[in-house]
Amino acid sequence: MKITLSIPTINDYTTADFDVLFNLWNQVNNDNLDVTFEFSQCNFLRHNAVAFLGGLTRLIQSRGRVVRFAIETISEKVKTNLAQNGFLSTLGFGGAPWSGNSIPYREDLHQDKVILDDYLKTNWLGRGWVHVSEMLKDAIVGRVWEIYANAFEHGKSQVGIFSCGQHYPRHHELKLTVVDFGVGIPSNVRLFFMHDPRAQSLSAASCLKWAFQRGTTTKPNGTSRGMGLDLLKEFVKLNKGKLEVFSHEGYAIIDSEQEQFVNRTTFFEGTLVNITFICDESYYHLAKEVVEEPLF
Amino acid sequence: MKIDVHKIIGENCITLEDGQTIFDLIHPKLTAGNAVELDFENVTVLASPFLNAAIGRLLKDIKPGNLNRLLKITNLVPTGLAVLRRVIENSKEYYSNPNVRKAVDEILFEQSESL
Repeated sequence: MKITLSIPTINDYTTADFDVLFNLWNQVNNDNLDVTFEFSQCNFLRHNAVAFLGGLTRLIQSRGRVVRFAIETISEKVKTNLAQNGFLSTLGFGGAPWSGNSIPYREDLHQDKVILDDYLKTNWLGRGWVHVSEMLKDAIVGRVWEIYANAFEHGKSQVGIFSCGQHYPRHHELKLTVVDFGVGIPSNVRLFFMHDPRAQSLSAASCLKWAFQRGTTTKPNGTSRGMGLDLLKEFVKLNKGKLEVFSHEGYAIIDSEQEQFVNRTTFFEGTLVNITFICDESYYHLAKEVVEEPLF
Repeated sequence: MKIDVHKIIGENCITLEDGQTIFDLIHPKLTAGNAVELDFENVTVLASPFLNAAIGRLLKDIKPGNLNRLLKITNLVPTGLAVLRRVIENSKEYYSNPNVRKAVDEILFEQSESL
């Protein structure tokens, strides 16, 4: 069966922007669909939409189905952006990308720390638009790595992990979306507690809240883990950033003023993380540690 | 025994697998009562999967007092040290008091009714 889906203008301002993406996933969540994406109503696609559309394309292709982009319907402005960030060339629709305000679209099937570190340090933080020291850069990369580590360790995404970022100079913001099409955080949490009859009725929001607490982990090997999301949350709150996580119906929004976990109506089986950092070191507070104190 | 972490792992100490490599090197020495120095000179990026696997897990069968005496951590960047302190704090709680974990988990079920 063939289906044509219209991609509208997609921002990352509100959860409604993300609902557009998750509704696309719901519409193609069928093994027998060849999909054409058309863009006649699209004036702009933010980084979150680019990462998600790339992943959605690979998901459909992994089922042996065909995905077509109606290139002729894409406006020059959108086409330029998709070419610049490497989306079109990665998916086989265009020439080589070039540098601009976009941070390249990328697909990772496996965890490769060298490539990802280079992506974050060079393409995301290292383009001269972030006025931060090398030490802060390293600290940011370490915290953002926690997103990738979680996705690779727990996501169980058969098609990999998809990222895209953007620098928004007027707002002094640097953004990055990381999305996987795996089983989602609530599924992992419910599986971890399967011995408890109440586990299946745990809400998605409460599962997300649990995952963000210090020391929680769904890894069942008796090793203390689960610092990652807690550390990331703390870093974002302290440094005036913003972190949003969507998984199943669960939605988490964390910034310096709020930490909210809510249940929504739109379902997406995987996990999408959208993170915002401020491009100015004066906003940051780094720990000053004294090594002389006993560590253990 | 001094271990040059950068020489073995590189400048990014972020993965569970690399942490396991360091753990396998130091754990037998420490359980045998030998002193170990982990030198992080030239290591720039640190993340919790590495530190949990390499160091946090030592607390499973080595007492904190013995680790303070035997394991020396040197040249760790301040931001990495902050993460390490949290990892150790978390591991101590995890390995020493299973009731704390159970209490946190019970809160999940209680809160789920209101979320």
